[in-house]
Parts: sequence; structure tokens; C-alpha cells
Amino acid sequence: MSRRFKAVDILLIILTLLPLAAGIVLKIVMMPAGEGIEIAGAHIFFTIGMPLQDLPITESQVNSWLVIISVFWLCLYITHGLKTKAVTRRQHIAEWIIEKTESLVKDNMGEYFSGFAPFIAAVMALSGFSSLLTLIGLYPPTSDMNVVGGWALLVFILITYYKFKCGPLHYLKSFTEPVVFLTPLNVISEVATPVSMAFRHYGNILSGSVISVLVAAALQGLSSMLLGNLPGILGEIPFLQIGLPAVLSIYFDIFSGLLQAFIFAMLTMLYVSGAFPADDYKKRHKNKNGGKIKCLNSQ
Amino acid sequence: MQNLEVISVNLWQILISLCNLLILFLILKKFLYKPVRKLLKKRQDELDRQYSSAENDRKSAMEMKSEWENKLSAADEEADDIIKTAGANAERRAASIISGAKDEADAIVKQARADAALEKEKAEKDIRHEIASVSVLLSEKLLEREINESDHKALIDSFIDEVGTGNGEGS
Repeated sequence: MSRRFKAVDILLIILTLLPLAAGIVLKIVMMPAGEGIEIAGAHIFFTIGMPLQDLPITESQVNSWLVIISVFWLCLYITHGLKTKAVTRRQHIAEWIIEKTESLVKDNMGEYFSGFAPFIAAVMALSGFSSLLTLIGLYPPTSDMNVVGGWALLVFILITYYKFKCGPLHYLKSFTEPVVFLTPLNVISEVATPVSMAFRHYGNILSGSVISVLVAAALQGLSSMLLGNLPGILGEIPFLQIGLPAVLSIYFDIFSGLLQAFIFAMLTMLYVSGAFPADDYKKRHKNKNGGKIKCLNSQ
Repeated sequence: MQNLEVISVNLWQILISLCNLLILFLILKKFLYKPVRKLLKKRQDELDRQYSSAENDRKSAMEMKSEWENKLSAADEEADDIIKTAGANAERRAASIISGAKDEADAIVKQARADAALEKEKAEKDIRHEIASVSVLLSEKLLEREINESDHKALIDSFIDEVGTGNGEGS
């Protein structure tokens, strides 16, 4: 019996790791190693003609799909064979994830939004795992503005949906407050929310990789300048590259990536719950007063 | 080799990325949250059931306990009764045994007294007889002649009777 479960475990772990391996293989096959340092966007595999704008299928798109597939198998791995009496470590992990995200969402958004837990978990997982792809040498989709922009757009749609749900007239009226001539600024600040979210995330990750590349290049130059006179092959090894890039990688690839994922999730929760004061809404609908009572927005 | 510009905006890519997030949300909801929530609910139900059954068990145990306590006190009373009646019975029986024994002892003593009186009478008779014969012998020896033994004996007997009754009354 346990042997069968073990076989399933191994199969699911392999299926989890397979997309990542496929990504590495794709990178090796499709992209020849560049000469020197280069700071460029995602590699374009091919382009599909579309109305308005052509759709390039890029490394960042493919890598996010790989992350999604990987997470899908990971979910299956940690949730298969659940028992009411927790016996396996992966079941503990699964329960821990669910309990933590649900309590986080409840603390930050209130009881009304408790259904948002999987969405927040999805934001965290997609953003965090995408940023961590740099650890295995793949292009992080989070350093592509279009990817993060899509997530921010979704959050913006959610915010607007909940503001409309709170009361469409009230929402439209809120643009003219406190005085009418500030309306353009209000519109800008409304649009600025997703833009700032997208730019913050994408900028942090991209700047991390840019700094890493620059430091590595600088260290290589310094190394060849100082130690270039050593005889034979010793002169060609950039010894100074040992150490510092690793520390930077821990900061930029792991810490910064996870921190940005957390920040993005926190901002999503705050904006969405701020757009819809559930208690106020309930009170208003009980009183049947329409839009008389003020709908308090955090914005 | 083509690369995207570092800063570039592409509408379709943004839409695809939006859909990616939605898809991952659905995946997590269906494959991670649904089974685990179901499990947690099942566990909660099981826990509730166990709690309620434990509560029921405790209640029935308390009922049984009070019942047994009642039974125990009743049994104590019964035991007291039994001991009391047994003591009374024993006393009564002891009294009857003692009285019976006393009667028996009295009878034995009476019998013994009668026997003793009989024995005494017999012994007196024997002694009288003996004394008479000894007296006859003595007087024969004394008189050195044989008198009519039967006359003599009657004489002595009457004498001893006189003495015996006098002695008998005295003792």
C-alpha cells in the first residue's frame, strides 16, 4: 500500500520539476549564450499576428506557464491522499498554507472577503515562484512589465468592480470630491493604483537583475585588471567574482522577490477591501436608504 | 536573436498574464483549497461528533453513578437490617440454648443427687451390714462362744439403727 503511494509521490514530484527542466532545456536550445553583458527584455520565441498589436510569445509568457503547470502538480502532490488524522508532512504543509492564507486574508480584508484566500495565494505563488526562477537561471517573468501589468490590471478590475458594487452613483460622485475641479487628479490617482503596483514589482525585480549583472561585469573587469598578469589560465579566472554576486543574489533573487510578492498581495488585499466597506454596505442595504448613507472609501 | 525591449507594453501580453493569474487562482481553488477545506470540515465534524458522544457518555456515566450510589445505600441499609435481625436471632437462640443447658444441667444435677443419695443409702446399708458382721465377729471373739447368730445380729442391727439414725440426723 505504502509502496503505491510512494510511486505516486515520485511521479508527482517529477511532474512538478519537469516544467522547470523544460524551461532550462528551452533556454539552452533556443538561446545561444550572449557575448559579454547585456541588459535586454525577454526573448521572443515567435510572434502571432493579432489586431491592434502583434502578440510576441516571449520567454516571460512561457516561463509563467511553466510556473503554473509546476504549481498545479505541486498542489496535486501535497493534497493527494489526505487523511483526517494528519500523518504526512506534506499534509501538514498543505493545511499550514490554507490556514495561514485564510487568517491573513481575514485579518486584512475582513470576514466578507474570506473567499479571496485562493486568489491571494495565487498572487503570492505566481509572483514568488516567478521571481525565484532566476535561481535556476531562467528569465523571471516578474521582470517583464507586461506580466506584472496584467496582474495589476486584474486587481484594478476587482477594485473598480467592488466600488461599483458599493454604489455606482456614489463611485462616480467620489471623483468630484472634495471639489469639482480636482476630478482629473482623482481620475489619475485611480489609474495610478494599478500602474504603481505594476511598476513597483517589475522595477524591483528588474533592477535587482540589472544590478547583479552590472556588479558581476564590474568585478570581472576589476579582476582582469588586478590579476590579469598572473601566468597562464590563472589570469583568465575572474577570482573577484567569487562571493559578492552570491550575496547579491540572495538579496535580489530570494529576499527581494519574495518581499515583492508579499507586498503585491498585501496591496491587493488593502485596495480591494478598501474599495468595499462591507459593514457599511450591509447597513445601507438593511436600512433601504439607497445612497443616502456615505460609503466610506479609504481612497 | 530577437529580444523584447526592456520597457515595452503589449496589450495581448497583459491580457495573457491576467488570464494566467486567473487560471492559477482557479487551479489553487480547485486543487488545493477545495480538498483541504473539505478535509478540515470533515475533521471538525468528526471532532464535534466525538465531543458530543463524549458528553453523552459522561451524562450516562453520571446517571449510572447516581443509580449505583442509590443501590449501594439501599444495600447498606439492607445489610444493617440483616445484621440486626441476625443478632436478634443469635441472641434468642443463645438464650434458648442457655436455658436448655440450664435445664439439662439441673436435670443432671438432680439425677446426680438422686444417684448420690441412692449410693449413700446403699453404702450405709453395706456399712451397716459390715459393722453388724464385724460386731458379731467381735462379740464372738469377746464371748469366745457362739451365740445364736441371727438373734445377735438382730440385736446389733437394732442398736446400729438407733446409732445410725442418731448419726444420720446429726450429719
